[in-house]
Amino acid sequence: MDKNKIRFLVVDDFSTMRRIVRNLLKELGYTNVEEAEDGQVALNKLESQPFDFVITDWNMPNMDGLTLLRKIRSSEKLKHLPVLMITAEAKKENIIAAAQAGASGYIVKPFTAAVLAEKLDRIFAKLGKQ
Amino acid sequence: MSDFAGMQDLLQDFLVEAEDLLSGVDNRLVELEKNPHDKNLLNEIFRGFHTIKGGAGFLGANELVTLCHLTENLFDKLRNDELSLTPTLMDLILEATAAVRDMFVYLERGVQPPPADESLLERLRAALSGKLSGPAGGGTKKQADVVDSGKDDGSEPDWELLHQVVAGETASEAKATPKQGDDPAQNGKAEAKAAPPVPKRASVPAPVRRQAENRDQGIRIETSRLDQVLNLAGEIGLTKNRLTALRSDILAGKTDPDTLHALDVSVNQLDLLVSDLQNAVMKTRMQPIGRLFQKYPRIARDLARQLGKQIELVISGEETEIDKTMIDDLSDPLIHLIRNAVDHGIESPEERVAAGKKPEGTIQLSAKQEGDHILIIIADDGKGMSAEKIRAKAVEKGLISADEANGLDDRQSLNLIFLPGFSTAEKVSDVSGRGVGMDVVRTNITKLNGTIDVQSEPGRGTTFIISLPLTLAILPVLLVRLGEQPFAVPLSMVREILPIHLDEVREVGGRSTLVVRGEVLPILPLSLLLNWPMTRTPSYGVLMQMAEFSFILGIDSFAGREDAVIKSLEDFRPKGVAGVTILSNGQIVLILDMKELFETSTGRQGVSKKELEKYAQPPEAVMQLA
Repeated sequence: MDKNKIRFLVVDDFSTMRRIVRNLLKELGYTNVEEAEDGQVALNKLESQPFDFVITDWNMPNMDGLTLLRKIRSSEKLKHLPVLMITAEAKKENIIAAAQAGASGYIVKPFTAAVLAEKLDRIFAKLGKQ
Repeated sequence: MSDFAGMQDLLQDFLVEAEDLLSGVDNRLVELEKNPHDKNLLNEIFRGFHTIKGGAGFLGANELVTLCHLTENLFDKLRNDELSLTPTLMDLILEATAAVRDMFVYLERGVQPPPADESLLERLRAALSGKLSGPAGGGTKKQADVVDSGKDDGSEPDWELLHQVVAGETASEAKATPKQGDDPAQNGKAEAKAAPPVPKRASVPAPVRRQAENRDQGIRIETSRLDQVLNLAGEIGLTKNRLTALRSDILAGKTDPDTLHALDVSVNQLDLLVSDLQNAVMKTRMQPIGRLFQKYPRIARDLARQLGKQIELVISGEETEIDKTMIDDLSDPLIHLIRNAVDHGIESPEERVAAGKKPEGTIQLSAKQEGDHILIIIADDGKGMSAEKIRAKAVEKGLISADEANGLDDRQSLNLIFLPGFSTAEKVSDVSGRGVGMDVVRTNITKLNGTIDVQSEPGRGTTFIISLPLTLAILPVLLVRLGEQPFAVPLSMVREILPIHLDEVREVGGRSTLVVRGEVLPILPLSLLLNWPMTRTPSYGVLMQMAEFSFILGIDSFAGREDAVIKSLEDFRPKGVAGVTILSNGQIVLILDMKELFETSTGRQGVSKKELEKYAQPPEAVMQLA
């Protein structure tokens, strides 16, 4: 699998955080990364450009990550996109809500490149099986 | 001694963004005091702390994470109506916000912040469990379930497993997960443990706000603006290629009308593109002034509370864009003006009611663009200033003579407050009124090529108007000549241009003056201001308007006006010279700093009529010269 061909969309309202995620992805060899500052911007981008993977923060203005996830899952065109939720919320309700909305994975801040790699690999492995 | 080796860039980014967020939080807290049940506000504040916490986690700043986490939880409960906002709770929240800010100061110096004050953390925890002493802190009805579902119960559930179970993944996968032993929460903890040890408070010098010089050197620019610059640069490249091709043609002797026309078109195009590029580059330096304004509601609120006043700071025009360097340099002067308005401008609620006003005072802080200038206006509806009193005070303090005072109109009198050593406050207060403020404010504004003006009506309030150029890089100038030598003076100070007819010159107090619409203005020949010998009688006067003083600058002729691109003289800066610029013909011209020139030169004494007339030429000669 050519890592550079996988196009990521990193969604977070905090640009430092987008940069962190982008750097971690780069460390793992994924260099094709686009950013969006909230769910609404992300959705617009997803609808107008091709993406292979969405990594989104939960708490954002305008449209939060969970709503974005639900919109993706309810869109005929986007529903197969893997979505990894990133958040500082380590609460049971949150993770249940994320899983029920169809998150492909869930990751709690702060995390290392290794943790991210492991999540991504697992999600890709699952995609491969389908 | 950085605790953030290898993370410096990240740290800088984080600080810039987190400080913005925190200022936003501060402002919303001020609003929240007025609308304690506003769900949107509560949500936004929650998100502010939450985001800071997330970033701090990656930096391993655990103490900051702890503090933000507690505060964030507090807001979570507030927005879910599990707690209600009491004044005690509000004070606690403000204290926590201040503590977060203190931690930023440590981070700025590359040091992991020490734990927040234990009593603050205690009180936050108490507030979270609804046990904060003081006015009843709202219901604790849902307390039990929150603790149950919260993460504060010590043992971390396996999120990954939970996610897989709920997401309905296969049992084998789900079973395999716990063995991997890298559940994100645990992992986060491990990473946190590996972070550098937190220095003890005693070993760290008291937080000192670092000046802007090494912080915030970066700038955040919308990508679309950079794209525009790139696009224009590309087009200029294309036009250059076209010109290169045309040059070859022309050098090869091809000078038919078509080739020449193409040359003309290309040069015109280049002209347009370069000016577009200049504008686009300038725009990358522009930032909304709201980034500056957002700090002030909190400052005004804290101060008003301290002084027992009721004040609302109303902000408008936050979206007005201004050069980044100006934003940094405007911060202190504006704080000073706002403090002044709170301290001296707005009266106490009792005084206001006695004067027939509503008890709550209003300070309006607004920004707008007017032509090529930005106006920043700070207006209060307080007690105002009396021109008469200010005149008397200035004379009493020996800042001006009684004679000078009599010659001043109300507007000029009010502007006396900008003189060094002037303070109208009866007693010096903690907050402002040490008499070192207003002149510093004006000096700082002048450094930015701006002007400040004050208007006031006793009983009605005071308004400060700051006028600033859009950018520091380009300065509209008037080119004047002494003999053949051109000089540039900032156009912002030029009120009008008039010919000097010697028969209209009056000598007042030994100085040559002209009466312009009832105003008696001294004629100061530029040559004398520059300490040059006067070899000609000035033919023209440029009415220069400075904050507290106007005069007629005597010059020989004009060379037009120009948008000068300022080249600063960093190391070598003669008095009275603001910089240099290069004219279209390649000539280098000095840009005069009129204020400095006026203040430091003996030429400000003026010149007697006899002296002025000494080199007078017959009118015909003047015509030729012009």
